[in-house]
Amino acid sequence: MATLSAPVSLLALPTAPSPLTQLRRSLQADVLKLRRTAALRLTLFSGALPVLLVFSIYFFKGHAIIKPGTDPWPSFLMRSWQTAGTLLLPLFVVLLTSLLVHVETKATAWKHLYAQPVGRGAVFVSKLLVLLALNAVALLLFAGLLLGAGALLMLVRHKLGFQSHAIPLETIGWMLMRTYVATLGLLAVQYIVSLFWRSFVVPVGIGMGAVVSTIALLQWEHADKIPYAAPLGTAVALRLDKVKGIVVAHELAPHEWYSLAWFAGALVLGYILLLRRPITA
Amino acid sequence: MNSTAPLLVETRDLSFHFGKRPILHNLPLQVPAGGIYGFLGPNGAGKSTTMRLLLGLLQPTAGSVYLFGYELRRNRVALLSRVGALIENPSLYDHLTGFENVEATRRLRGVPAPRTAEVLEIVGLTDAARRPAREYSLGMRQRLGLATALLSDPALLLLDEPTNGLDPNGIIDMRELLRRLRDDHGKTIIVSSHLISEIEKVATHVGVIQQGRMVFQGSLPDLQRLQTGRARLVLETDSADTCRNLLPRLLGAAQIVGQGTLWLPMLTPAQTAEVAAAVVGAGQPLYGLRLEQPSLEETFLHLTETALS
Repeated sequence: MATLSAPVSLLALPTAPSPLTQLRRSLQADVLKLRRTAALRLTLFSGALPVLLVFSIYFFKGHAIIKPGTDPWPSFLMRSWQTAGTLLLPLFVVLLTSLLVHVETKATAWKHLYAQPVGRGAVFVSKLLVLLALNAVALLLFAGLLLGAGALLMLVRHKLGFQSHAIPLETIGWMLMRTYVATLGLLAVQYIVSLFWRSFVVPVGIGMGAVVSTIALLQWEHADKIPYAAPLGTAVALRLDKVKGIVVAHELAPHEWYSLAWFAGALVLGYILLLRRPITA
Repeated sequence: MNSTAPLLVETRDLSFHFGKRPILHNLPLQVPAGGIYGFLGPNGAGKSTTMRLLLGLLQPTAGSVYLFGYELRRNRVALLSRVGALIENPSLYDHLTGFENVEATRRLRGVPAPRTAEVLEIVGLTDAARRPAREYSLGMRQRLGLATALLSDPALLLLDEPTNGLDPNGIIDMRELLRRLRDDHGKTIIVSSHLISEIEKVATHVGVIQQGRMVFQGSLPDLQRLQTGRARLVLETDSADTCRNLLPRLLGAAQIVGQGTLWLPMLTPAQTAEVAAAVVGAGQPLYGLRLEQPSLEETFLHLTETALS
């Protein structure tokens, strides 16, 4: 075929956007797609449930839990964190990843997404970053609500003595960081599972099954290697020091390192699996 | 095919297997710049698979895809920046408004912000832009999908069955839109369909695929010439059988299709006159003698049926 008469511009190879530009664009699109999604609502409201439960316990039965004159913050924090970390936090991560990936699946948008001038890497990393951000927001909201509940108890349950003791902010900060790390392993595994099966039911089923099985396996000597057990491991890391009050080690525990290893391993393996996958849906 | 226009899309020996099941065999697709290429075939012939291969959604088992003269495999992201696509049913986020749906892809492509409103205007959805996509009718959804495909003002548009599920008015609207996109905006369009009637009015080139093989490819006039070759003379008389027996030299090759109807392969005007004279000369009544062109539809069916056998 003759190409001489063709306009030069038509046959010049356009330049591809740089990987960073692709990622930025994917992120901007992904953030817009969050509007009015269940994933976003879940993020905003999930932290409220454990706080509300613990707040109610202290509001109605606080006098029976706290001896007069003792610091109420340690038991308040422990109870809240254990309520959240045992079941709610892992389930939250399972639901969040499944819901976020399902936004594309439900819209049959994978074929559309991969037909755009962005690489598969950008799509993969962008959604992962959104997930990580939502997970962080949910945890921060949880901590914020926890502090708010404590403050409210200062006002409405004066006798419990929340106002007479220092708020253990440093411990809360470390707990937030360590809990976040503890969720990363299961987040990555669930992300890959969601991308691989591209359905809502399968990843939620696998995730819930894994969370429940983990609870049954807690006595196992290798339980700290299960990513679904890590948030619980961190939740029970809080301990009471006679001098310092409630404390937590300022370092990562083995189960949190395992969580990081799962995070890295699942993402690398998952990315390789998904990279050349045919897009048929 | 027009030899002066460069090829915007070309596949060389393109084959695809789904598992062990072969879907496409050595497909030689050639789409010249500035045309509307009607990609035709019955359902399941391999049209959607081909479209997906053209976008790099599937990897060919053998052969390669060239867009704008460059191999897709090596330059996918760069080349896709000049391609807009609508594959089967449009990918719409029901929880977003029409505007937000287009906007999501606009951000993804890095196109300037005012473009969202422009493409909504082109497809006539400006008024409905603020409504959630879940409230859109099928036709509106197709148009919204098309708006998204038009975002980057792509030189090449791939539309897979864009009239699927549309009512007759919707089909006419879509046809008008395609014509306008080619004539006013200079787009090259590949549009697939299983109905030739939907695209014969707009297509400049046609490719017919059957069971994963290209059975015809050429300009629309080429296809029309093909059907001229299949034109026939229809002879109406009293008894077709008697007539043929009386005139074995002239009517031996004729096909009896009814009590008094005969089909003859197309003849020259002189031969036609000879047939008329002979029938009358043999004492048979001649009720009618006319040239009949098969419709494009029949040609299309003939092509796909021939390939089947």
